[in-house]
Amino acid sequence: MSALQPLSRLVAALLREDERRCLLGEDVRSGGMLGLSRVAAQDEQLRARVLGSPLTASAHVAHAGGLALAGLRPIVLLPSSTALLEALAALRELGRLRWRSGEQRAVPALFVAPNGPGFGVGGEAAESVEATLAAVPGVELWCAGRAEDLCAYLRSAADFSGAEARPAQVGPRVLLLPRSVVVRDLLVDVDLDQALPRSVTALVREGDRATVFAWGEALAPALAAAQACAALDPAIEVKVVDLGRLAPLDEELLVEHASATGKIVIAHAGPRRGGLGAELAALFADRCILHLDAPIVRVTGELEPALVAGHEELRASPSASAIAAAINHVVHY
Amino acid sequence: MQPTAWEPEGVEALLDSKGTLADPAAVRGLDLRDYYKKLVAARVLDVKLRRLELPMWASAAGEEAVSVAIGDLVEDDDTVFVGNRDAAIGLTRGMALTELVSQLLGRGSSETRGRGLPGSISSQAHAIVGASEALGMSLGLAVGHAHGQALFGRGRASVVVFGEGLTTTGMFHESVAVALAHDAPLVFVCKSQIWPDGAPPEAGLLGDSVSDRARAAGLWTRRCDGADALGVRRAIGAALHRAKDGAGPGLVEVVVTPLAQDPPAERDPVERLRRLLDARGEWTQPFQDVTEAEIHGLIDRAVQEAVDAGQDEVSS
Repeated sequence: MSALQPLSRLVAALLREDERRCLLGEDVRSGGMLGLSRVAAQDEQLRARVLGSPLTASAHVAHAGGLALAGLRPIVLLPSSTALLEALAALRELGRLRWRSGEQRAVPALFVAPNGPGFGVGGEAAESVEATLAAVPGVELWCAGRAEDLCAYLRSAADFSGAEARPAQVGPRVLLLPRSVVVRDLLVDVDLDQALPRSVTALVREGDRATVFAWGEALAPALAAAQACAALDPAIEVKVVDLGRLAPLDEELLVEHASATGKIVIAHAGPRRGGLGAELAALFADRCILHLDAPIVRVTGELEPALVAGHEELRASPSASAIAAAINHVVHY
Repeated sequence: MQPTAWEPEGVEALLDSKGTLADPAAVRGLDLRDYYKKLVAARVLDVKLRRLELPMWASAAGEEAVSVAIGDLVEDDDTVFVGNRDAAIGLTRGMALTELVSQLLGRGSSETRGRGLPGSISSQAHAIVGASEALGMSLGLAVGHAHGQALFGRGRASVVVFGEGLTTTGMFHESVAVALAHDAPLVFVCKSQIWPDGAPPEAGLLGDSVSDRARAAGLWTRRCDGADALGVRRAIGAALHRAKDGAGPGLVEVVVTPLAQDPPAERDPVERLRRLLDARGEWTQPFQDVTEAEIHGLIDRAVQEAVDAGQDEVSS
């Protein structure tokens, strides 16, 4: 069983818990492409808030913004993160709305979208678009990592409590679900009532020889790489940080973890060029240069540019062995 | 009088180009002198703003019938999504003039902290959402907002004002489709700038009127003449009424003639209503002078206060 079934139950639970929440999507009334709205759509009590909408690009995103302005808490289930590229103008508008109103209007809308390789169909359905979305002003961008964290990520991302009291701090939020992670077998029981028990950006493995920053589908191989390095040489324990929130970056926390070891590996899916890894590397060069004891190494997908055929998807994200090699490189530099 | 090339086709006239009221019963209960004063105030605001030579500012002279009708008809709980030539909606809705002018001057002391688009206004208290930057986004936002109001069962309507230029964009068509799909209580108000020579290409690009196109998509529509302030009020009022009644979205296309194009006097909505009042013996030159002087004074004071507040910001 993958995380999709518990995610579907969680989506329905989120609607039951707050009647301001509604689901928006082209096919949400029939369960949605990933089945995330299946449980909600089958619940007679919830169906009035499961809002099937015509297939549109920008209007869909703008619609969610309007619902949020009216006091609702829309959760938009998108078939692909690239839908947000088609609707980029609308997403930019939502990001600016709060600012342009003099911070008087909150926009508590959540967009949930699969991202990156994993379904094996290639093309846009294998593209990692986070670098583009992270550059949209006023939009919070989250990216879940491990399968066992997906539900906690969704519960936390859907929490806009305090929007009325703090409209200046509540804008639209995007939660990316890595495709390869959502279809992976879920090997543990998940507590649907549990939000993320930590800040979104957080240390998920302790160590002192190097720091690996990873997000999305690169997080599990990063942890596997860290474990393999420690198994081969118990003296090599490395920190692993789940970036979690890609925009705005929790810069202080990231700098703290980078400075602590001075040896940095950044791992993410998608292309190296123009990726968010470059932004992180620049941040560490700016803020931690006196702590660095090795070049900053980025481990990414191999394909440049990021045009991916279905049969090439495995090459669009870093492997655990490539990350382990990078760890060894910086540790022994 | 023969219709001139300036007269729009296919419009429902209430106050014709001679200043004759086709159906007096349609304005029963409306204080025409008071309504005329609102039109004059909108015109004076436009004249005053033009003199300030604000960057990227566009005159709305000739479009007052739309702003005044919306400002006059919407209730406190109804939300209006404005464009960049709709400042008079704020004036008619009762926004404090100093705040309104501060926003138009881009002052950091205003509610929007000087971040609004040129010519646009925004007010949380008066339920006015400012213009969007990307083409047509305010339409999509307004549809969602109206849909949200309906989901709450609040019996409210939303209004979005835009120019004919947007009607060739994808957002316009997407928004119409989504509004219809959700029966959103929304009134689309399209200001179509049309004049005999050199009008924007969107106005006639598809060879028909915006209201025809919208009706073909399934919307309830009306096309009226922006020089006929009472007809515009009647059409927008009808659209609001049916939206609140649960009958779904509607579109009112108002054919407006920018005064900058130097049209004949009867194309001016203020002048046309003045002729009606004159014919009824309800207009005199002193009445006109007092009306104008009053709004001139209020706006002058507001501009001065806004400028003073700006100087305070600099000095602090």
